[in-house]
Amino acid sequence: MNKIISIFLYTFILLVSLQAEDTKKYGEDIALTEKTKISDIVKSPQDFVGEKVLVEGTVVNVCAKRGCWIELASDKEFESIRVKVQDGVIVFPMEAKGKKALVEGEVYSFEYEVEAECSGSGCKENEEKHEDCEHHKKETKTIYQIRGIGAEI
Amino acid sequence: MKWRRTIRVIHRDTGYIVALLTIIYAISGIAVNHINDWNPNYIVEKHVVTIKPLSDTLLTKEEAVNYVLSQLQIVDSVKNSFRPTPEIVDIFFEGKTISANIKVGEAAIEVINDRYVFKESNFLHLNTPKKLWTWIADLFAVALVLLAITGIFMNKGKHGLKGRGKWFVALGIVIPIIFLFLYY
Repeated sequence: MNKIISIFLYTFILLVSLQAEDTKKYGEDIALTEKTKISDIVKSPQDFVGEKVLVEGTVVNVCAKRGCWIELASDKEFESIRVKVQDGVIVFPMEAKGKKALVEGEVYSFEYEVEAECSGSGCKENEEKHEDCEHHKKETKTIYQIRGIGAEI
Repeated sequence: MKWRRTIRVIHRDTGYIVALLTIIYAISGIAVNHINDWNPNYIVEKHVVTIKPLSDTLLTKEEAVNYVLSQLQIVDSVKNSFRPTPEIVDIFFEGKTISANIKVGEAAIEVINDRYVFKESNFLHLNTPKKLWTWIADLFAVALVLLAITGIFMNKGKHGLKGRGKWFVALGIVIPIIFLFLYY
């Protein structure tokens, strides 16, 4: 009898927990009320670095394996911004693709080095010979993203 | 001894309660252990089809969407769309995304299906629901500690800790230590 009660209780708790996703809230509750246009951030991202923003946009891409980022479409064509969340803290489902999302987070930037295209005399020959082009230069690119802390999708 | 009988009862009944959850966590553990080799939550199928290329990329987003849909003869209701570049239009459906390059004449169709059992197991194992489940998961962890401790002292004699048990316990201690030396 005790065993049956245990199994029943366990199944009930399991079902309750499975229902918990229906809220479609991720991470912390959204506190900001004033929305910032994604196009404003994309236009001059350096002005927003370190600022908390509330943005809205269509989810156009989702991290397939870990759900650790989403990409939001801007209010202007050909623009988008990535929202990165802490791995495991927020997990975005792939079903979010195409849905509207409201995200609160902090704009941040990071730099990474990329190899600039080969230019100058002798480069083509070296590339064909699979040799390093002496004119190859490292270029630093700055990426701007939003560190998401809460979202509603 | 009476205390040994008690820990046997604790071990047995705790085992009954956590049996299913242990299996769930084990399935998910294996699944997420190999996250670099596969997607533990979804089956993502992708294939590329050709459409008639268009040189005119001055179409509006709606026109581009309609053009791609007519070319692919798709009548499903569109959830949303996005144009990352003048040549490319992404069209979102329920469980499906089409990313078409209208200039090149290629459309990549991505269909997403849930990986049943694994997805639900990962949902619980990775504590995605948070809330009440966090406490259940904590209780489960405590139950596993209880199972481990009671398991060690459950038997006596040559099958107990003083007999062959000590060698198995030692093996269980040595294995993680070796890997800590190797990789940490």
